[in-house]
Amino acid sequence: MTQLIDTSIYTAVTEAIQGEARRILSEGSVSAVVGYAAARRKGSAQPVVITQADDSGKLIFSAACVNNLAVYLTKAKKDIPKNGKIGIVVKGCDLKALVGLMGESQLKREELYLIGVPCAGVLASTILPDTALTSGTIASKCRECGERLPQGCDYTPTVTPPITPVLEKKYAAEIARLEAMTPAERWAYWKEQFKKCIKCYACRQVCPFCFCEQCLCDRNKPQMVETTPRPAGNFAWHIVRAMHLAGRCAGCAECERVCPMDIPLNLLNRKMAKELKELYNHEAGFEVREKGPLAMYDEKDDQSFIK
Amino acid sequence: MSRIGVFVCHCGENISRTVDVERVAAEVGKLPGVAFSTDYKYMCSDPGQGLLKKAIREERLSHVVVAACSPRMHEKTFRKAVESAGLNPFLCEMANIREHCSWVHEDRDEATVKAIEIVGMMVERVKKNRVLPTITVPVTKRSLVIGGGIAGIQAALDIADAGHEVVLVEREPSIGGHMAQLSETFPTLDCSQCIMTPKMVDVANHPRIKLYTYAEIEHVEGYIGNFQVTVRRKARSVIEEKCTGCGVCMEKCPVRKIPNTFDRDLGMRPAIYVPFPQAVPNTPVIDRENCTKFKTGKCGVCQKVCGPGAVDYEQEDRLIVEPVGAIVVATGFDLYSIEEKPKGSSIKGYGEFGHGRIPDVIDGMTFERLASASGPTGGKIMRPSDGREPKQIVFIQCVGSRAREKGISYCSKICCMYTAKHTMLYHHKVHDGQAYVFFMDARTPGKSYDEFWRRSIEEEEAVYIRGMVSRLYQKGDKIVVMGSDISVGVQVEIEADMVVLATAVQPRKGADTLAQKLGISYDKYHFYSEAHAKLRPVECATAGIYLAGACQGPKDIPDTVSQASAAAAKVMTLFARDQLEREPIVARVRETGCVGCFYCKKVCPYGAVEEKEIRDRQGNLVKVVAYVNPGVCGGCGTCQATCPSKSVELDGYTDEQIVAMIESL
Amino acid sequence: MHTEKEKHTFEPKIIAFVCTWCTYAGADLAGTSRMQYPANVRVLKFPCTGRIDPVFILKAFQQGADGVLVSGCHPGDCHYIAGNFHARRRFAAFRKLLEFVGVDLGRLQFSWVSAAEGGKWVEMVTGLTEQVRGMGPMQEFKELALEEQWSGSIDTPELQEAYDQI
Repeated sequence: MTQLIDTSIYTAVTEAIQGEARRILSEGSVSAVVGYAAARRKGSAQPVVITQADDSGKLIFSAACVNNLAVYLTKAKKDIPKNGKIGIVVKGCDLKALVGLMGESQLKREELYLIGVPCAGVLASTILPDTALTSGTIASKCRECGERLPQGCDYTPTVTPPITPVLEKKYAAEIARLEAMTPAERWAYWKEQFKKCIKCYACRQVCPFCFCEQCLCDRNKPQMVETTPRPAGNFAWHIVRAMHLAGRCAGCAECERVCPMDIPLNLLNRKMAKELKELYNHEAGFEVREKGPLAMYDEKDDQSFIK
Repeated sequence: MSRIGVFVCHCGENISRTVDVERVAAEVGKLPGVAFSTDYKYMCSDPGQGLLKKAIREERLSHVVVAACSPRMHEKTFRKAVESAGLNPFLCEMANIREHCSWVHEDRDEATVKAIEIVGMMVERVKKNRVLPTITVPVTKRSLVIGGGIAGIQAALDIADAGHEVVLVEREPSIGGHMAQLSETFPTLDCSQCIMTPKMVDVANHPRIKLYTYAEIEHVEGYIGNFQVTVRRKARSVIEEKCTGCGVCMEKCPVRKIPNTFDRDLGMRPAIYVPFPQAVPNTPVIDRENCTKFKTGKCGVCQKVCGPGAVDYEQEDRLIVEPVGAIVVATGFDLYSIEEKPKGSSIKGYGEFGHGRIPDVIDGMTFERLASASGPTGGKIMRPSDGREPKQIVFIQCVGSRAREKGISYCSKICCMYTAKHTMLYHHKVHDGQAYVFFMDARTPGKSYDEFWRRSIEEEEAVYIRGMVSRLYQKGDKIVVMGSDISVGVQVEIEADMVVLATAVQPRKGADTLAQKLGISYDKYHFYSEAHAKLRPVECATAGIYLAGACQGPKDIPDTVSQASAAAAKVMTLFARDQLEREPIVARVRETGCVGCFYCKKVCPYGAVEEKEIRDRQGNLVKVVAYVNPGVCGGCGTCQATCPSKSVELDGYTDEQIVAMIESL
Repeated sequence: MHTEKEKHTFEPKIIAFVCTWCTYAGADLAGTSRMQYPANVRVLKFPCTGRIDPVFILKAFQQGADGVLVSGCHPGDCHYIAGNFHARRRFAAFRKLLEFVGVDLGRLQFSWVSAAEGGKWVEMVTGLTEQVRGMGPMQEFKELALEEQWSGSIDTPELQEAYDQI
């Protein structure tokens, strides 16, 4: 049964964001604010960078504000942070990416002004932007979200996020389904999925953690990973990508959202997150950690798999 | 295009028996890039090496692969040969077709095919080898010695006598350490202070030893040959340069009843004091916790009576940076404290032995002070409780040591011998007294040690009882010691006047903190770890840091002095050259690719990765990248495997080389 | 000593990534002790298991390995203080990933073999060779590589028709 999800707070949130952006821009405490603005199609939203207090009215927040804006602070708009302190609108999931980036010396907390957004959830990528948010249209990542109210922001609108219905956790269910398969069945599943990949690298472009200037997978001296948009190359790319994100990805699911071929990319990342939680009790994105789980060790780490 | 030469060795028959070496040479000769291939009976022999050198010159070879034994055996030999023929030694690789092939397989065909593949793999690898220049780092020919006990003193004197400057840092107000506290030493019974104090004076007078007492190591930076050590000189409240050591201040100090730690709290000292009369330097220190001036602001007697005006109440801690090239760690030991259990430690106390509760239950070091002619009793053995001479005395060995259930499983090594010494000292001073010793084993390996132990029983009438003590308790003015004699299987009960516990040797408190500052490793007890238990016993795994004495493990004086001299010899070996050469297997950062996530820095076991700012011509910061200090890098390559963009590469094991090998298979 | 060697129809290709200080030395010891083991293994020497990138394991499978062995110093024995500890975490995660995409972990083995454990080296190599032999060739990556050559199989009549018209 489809349940409607209450997004009535978004109006208040939008007003609050606008007010705060106007205040910090006119005060001059930030040089720009990264947020969302309405886009051309009805009900849709797109990322925007505003630098004038007068433009604050453009900022909105709605169930169509799907993007993780963290990427605009690293590679997408590299020059933004250089111009002084930056304001950024963050959902709980986006904040986790920012926290991770701080731990990896890519951002400094003191250079950011975080405008936290109480969030009831956003729409799945396959849903038209002006659709109502329901248990059927909500994005998969929001189904298992535990961070509807981002913590530790400089400003958070005093709105309580509505109590959202308990939804079935799709990733967890899918991981369990795959884990129950034989290796051959899993191979067949992923082969079918990776076969679709056209190596457009949208997943890489949108990922806040893919901040390398030169990707390992683009190197040709030596060619560590096959680059062809064919099965072998695709497999290699997705395995390497999942490995590189292990312990860092906090599940903003942008890779999956932008994938034009609908490959369930976040599934790999969630699986790795689950394993690292089980192995080392590590969850990405909650605190700025100097060392991720794969950059540290404990002498007593599990080694039951080593003979 | 590379011109690779491949040399396949028969190793007599060791390889050729199972591997068709001619076929290997012929097959490998067909590989692209191979300009020359041959086989020879013994490649490592002089004619074999001659053949290699000749081929390099005549065939204008660019790279060399020697297919023979393990590189662990002869890599150095062949790289040297290649170098003498004018090629960079790192353009030579070995293919292991003996240990990994001919010796472990019997089927000739199979082994030959495998050998061809192994050589082929190394051919592909060597194509990607780069010229690696030998890395040299300058050496600062000054040494730091941490700890002014007998180990530190010996090391400092040896290094200074060899002509190098030494900075000796001691935590206490005087050097001397535990040895200065001892009465006599085994196995010769010569007076400890008589042999120790001249060495202490030598240190004080040595023109090349800079002595910092009442000082600690604050911070260590740098690497072998180039350390920067920050020393904290704690405020002594007495200006060393002005003080003449006349001692008037100590005589006039109105606070007189402070237990002297040097005398194991048996004697008393004033608030301005030297720990013992022969202290070096003979400069007093004000114990600010107990000084009336510091507590109430009134008094100031010492300043008034000091002729040279050396007393300075305003003095503050000073930080001094000393550049040194090598560090000798000689921080010594603490005695196992049986009444208190260190916080967070798995080591348990010995409450049942009543130490701290029964005043006449003392430890071995306290006994030393009682027996010492310069001790608080002037060398007279008397009970701390009532000053009576004990007529029955019980020594208990292995208190703490070899007691797994108490948390320490090692043997403290010195207790058997010093207990034997104690029974003798006792017998010499209390002629009508009787000494009993409870022991598990008597361990007496060492020159004249067993004779010494036998003497304590045969000539000095000590009664040794094999077995442990289960309980001690006070009964009137006696201490009842209950134990078992397992050699005859009976329970024993002795009414003793005094009990001496041979407590375990433990590393200094804070040994772990110092190790972290130095970047050296330590075991679960916090004893420092040597690089190799047998072959590199005085070096740490961290280059340029050496160990001396009990900080590495329990040791007696002769062993400590030997190790100190050995550590000094290692330092001198290092200082014998102006430049330090090291294998160029180190990581290098490709700055264009580095995005400064510093994963490399996080995983580097050596702390070799630094942050480096890249600026444009106007001086604007472009980015911060990683920089690997080649002097510190150990060459493990963990950084490269961790780097997401592979912007750090380990020379000699680059991705190109490894991928070439995988792709050849 | 010489026994009749069994002939197998399938000889697996085993690639071993080992550290130079412990396992490589252990393999040397197996040689000096003249122990016997299957000739299927090819050894790649690294300074430390810490240097072994998971990509190499992937690369080895893509290169046609039927089994991969990764071996280094026992915990606490690392010549480079802690390289093997880092490797242990990295591989604990990587094997979970490979398992999740459908690689049978019977083909990927990790071990600690010290310089004194020539016998253990023989055991590891023999064990993995036999195990992989029982599992048969690693078809998965080979099939992918084959498909790499062809953009896709002509499996529908429409495609076949279009193809014929060219």
